Amino acid sequence: MKDNKIQIYKTRTKILIGFFILILALVTARFFYLQIIQGNELKELRERNINTFEYIYPKRGRILSKDGIVLAEDRKVFSLAIDIEQKPSEQSINKLADLYPDKIKVENLRLKVSNSIKFRRPEIVIERLTQEDLAKYLVGGSDITGFSVIEGYEREYNSHPSIFHVLGHMGYINDSDVQYFSPRINEYNAKIWSKVGKSGIERVYEKRLQGQHGKRFFQRNARGDKKVITDISSFMEGEELSISINFQAQKLAYELMNERKGAVVVIDLQDFSIPVAISTPSISANDLRDISSSQYQDLLNDPTRPLFNRAFMGLYPPASTIKPLLTIFALNNEYTNWDETIFDDGFFRFEEEERIFNAWREGGHGLTDLEKALVESSNPFFMNLSIRYEKDLFVEFLKSSSFGSKLCEDCYPHQFSPLIDDDWKYKNFGKELYKGDFINLGVGQGYMLTTPLHLSLISGILANRGEYELPYLVTKKQNKLFINEDLTDEDWNKLHSSLVNVIYSQNGTGYRINAGELNLAGKSGTAQVVDINSREEYDEVRTNPLLRDHAIFIGYAPYDNPRYSIAVIVENGESGGRVAGPIAKEVLEELLNDI
Amino acid sequence: MTFNLRNSVIFLSLAIIILLGSLTIFSVTSIDVNSFLRFLLINIFVILFVLLLFNQINLNRIFSFGLILFLFNILLVLSVEIFGKEINGSKRWLDFGFLSLQPSEFMKITYALFVIQYLRFYGFKFSRFRSIFLLSVLFISALPIIYQPDLGTGLVYTILGLMFLFICGMHRFYFIAMGIFGILLSPLIYTFGLTSYQKGRIISWFSSDQTLSEKWNILQSEISIGSGGLFGEGFLNSKQNEFNFLPEADTDFIFSIYAEQFGFIGVFLILIFLGCFIVMTTFLTMTDKRLTSDLSPYYIGTYCTFVIGFSFLLNILMVSGMIPVVGLPLPFFTKGGSSLLCFSIMLGLIFTSRGFLK
Repeated sequence: MKDNKIQIYKTRTKILIGFFILILALVTARFFYLQIIQGNELKELRERNINTFEYIYPKRGRILSKDGIVLAEDRKVFSLAIDIEQKPSEQSINKLADLYPDKIKVENLRLKVSNSIKFRRPEIVIERLTQEDLAKYLVGGSDITGFSVIEGYEREYNSHPSIFHVLGHMGYINDSDVQYFSPRINEYNAKIWSKVGKSGIERVYEKRLQGQHGKRFFQRNARGDKKVITDISSFMEGEELSISINFQAQKLAYELMNERKGAVVVIDLQDFSIPVAISTPSISANDLRDISSSQYQDLLNDPTRPLFNRAFMGLYPPASTIKPLLTIFALNNEYTNWDETIFDDGFFRFEEEERIFNAWREGGHGLTDLEKALVESSNPFFMNLSIRYEKDLFVEFLKSSSFGSKLCEDCYPHQFSPLIDDDWKYKNFGKELYKGDFINLGVGQGYMLTTPLHLSLISGILANRGEYELPYLVTKKQNKLFINEDLTDEDWNKLHSSLVNVIYSQNGTGYRINAGELNLAGKSGTAQVVDINSREEYDEVRTNPLLRDHAIFIGYAPYDNPRYSIAVIVENGESGGRVAGPIAKEVLEELLNDI
Repeated sequence: MTFNLRNSVIFLSLAIIILLGSLTIFSVTSIDVNSFLRFLLINIFVILFVLLLFNQINLNRIFSFGLILFLFNILLVLSVEIFGKEINGSKRWLDFGFLSLQPSEFMKITYALFVIQYLRFYGFKFSRFRSIFLLSVLFISALPIIYQPDLGTGLVYTILGLMFLFICGMHRFYFIAMGIFGILLSPLIYTFGLTSYQKGRIISWFSSDQTLSEKWNILQSEISIGSGGLFGEGFLNSKQNEFNFLPEADTDFIFSIYAEQFGFIGVFLILIFLGCFIVMTTFLTMTDKRLTSDLSPYYIGTYCTFVIGFSFLLNILMVSGMIPVVGLPLPFFTKGGSSLLCFSIMLGLIFTSRGFLK
């Protein structure tokens, strides 16, 4: 019995010794793994613990108008941010939420805190603290830890809505921004910039405006109460950009539109810069800064589409305003000359298909030659011409007039006027272009669509006798372009005098503009919004404002030595000469008085 | 005291562990040499004082106070609820001004003393009643510790108590039965028996979400250990400590700082010394020629040796991320009065029982 007890004791001690040695071996293996096999990795983690850096954000470059008005600049603001060096406690989170009940939701804040710690990014809790907010925090936030007031910059725009579409706006970076900037900016690091240009100049010139960020390297401890700066890398403030917009004229153009939908684009023919580009209605870029997502949705769903840049993106049938350009085409290919006449009785009969096209004036213009057709805008004359057009030559001519290609490198977003060729028609309608299509194309209807920017450029092409450059806002693209033409000076002079007569002859569709001493030349147009087959239908359509015709005017001034070309579109404005024309007149007057 | 080769190795191992412990605590808490010497002297003084005290007391006298000491200890644990100071949401400490004690630390000693007093009366014969009685006392006395709440100390106390009953020769049936029950009951205990803080600690050990602060502690601890590499960063060169990345660096996680400074070689050496001390002490106790019918000194000596050994290993398993973080002190390293006093008393019991000091 006694021996048995000793035996049990010995056995059990041996078992425990064995167990102890087993764990000892396990521990040794574990430390071998951590220190020898994983040693270097863990050491690197330790260095990352201690040595860290923060970005130094440069001030974003100012944007100035050509007449020296500051359109956008960075202003110093204070924001409340999460301090990643000291994790905010649950208590502090609740207290902060109590301090700003209308600005902070506890759940959102909690999410931000956990994201902030996860990605080691000092997430902003309240942007742009007001004086009152700041005072509240300094008085009531003394026992709140894990948050800090940080200094930063915020974009402040000229609040006039006319400038919004050209300038664009800033917003928080998302995946599509990264995709956009990665190929365009060398070594683009999306992690650095939380806000980037979303549209307009802000987007196109993101790289130049943002400048070069710097890094502040420092050693810190876990509590964040010790911070030793070890190195600062150089950084560069953003570049100041001067854009071609003439702010006075821009403002005037916007106000002249008087809340109607539409666009005005002016091109300076000396250098093809764009002094005026407005799209109405618009908003102030500052309003987008801290808009809620539902408010943003409302803006997107607004039927007047204030966020849509009609000037660079809107596609409108050019209607009669395309006639001068097609006159060049017709003369060049000898489809007609200045002497040919037809009898315009208000209809064009397309005999191959036995279709009848109505013209806008009841009874027609009577005996009409090319000049009269331009001045009084005779559709039957141009329809009669267009059935003679050869498809390939026509497409080549449109191509040389920048249909189907990008017009402006620094306009964003940008849409080009589609080039109507067989490919285009196949893609959209599954068949080739046929003769009947040209009847509509020849008077700027049917498939033909142009942007206001393009119309303004076309007007410039007319003024400049076929030679042109691509318009720009900041950076000029140095190459001259020519449309396909080989007209004599006499042809050009006759064309120009026709365009002058549009404005100054009593029969001219633009006579009502009363252009006076402006020396304006131009062409009006009225684009049908819906296809109309009879005049009765037309009267019915007119009662619905949204179905009324678009008023279009293109022109240039002064006609003897053209300086500016312009395109004005007033959606549902009905009459190009009476509605769009006067706007063009006043804007051009403002610009020319400025010189 | 007999000095032979074996005893010398045991003493040397122990002395080196104590010295390294003092060096490490010094490197964590202060760079002032005076405070290091003071700490080392206090360590040595406490250990020697306890050893000498035990030299004066007959072990049998101590055993005869087993029940009283145990009850007194339980009373102290309960009184913590009333007088104790709260740290990290848990009341464990009694503050005596110059010294704050954690009475639950001493339970593992007083329970063993109580068991010895009780079993000696019956000549160390385990009847079914006695086995169940001792087990019940163990589990019931663990409850106040667990509800402090201090799950770690409570669990370790229970496991060490079971180890003592194992050494004393309780029938293996009970251990097997408890093992099965333990596994079956663990979901219930987890659901109803634990506070959310304790659950959080367990969850953090299993989950991979690094934002949980417990997981962060473990990560920082592993970073410290790994940064040591083979040779270590050198004494007083723990960057994790300098930049405060390792929490509880002077208590539970002190071994990580040791590992960062002295590397795998330092760790390996200390494990060798620990192994020497534990294995040689228990082996020599077990093979003592004077084994008689009264095995109680051998039981208590072997028990205390293993308590030191397993406490050491459990702490290292914890800091190296092998087991969940439960607040376990590292013998002779962790800064803290109770831990030092407790392990000193154990040393006293070990050497008294072996008759080294006689």
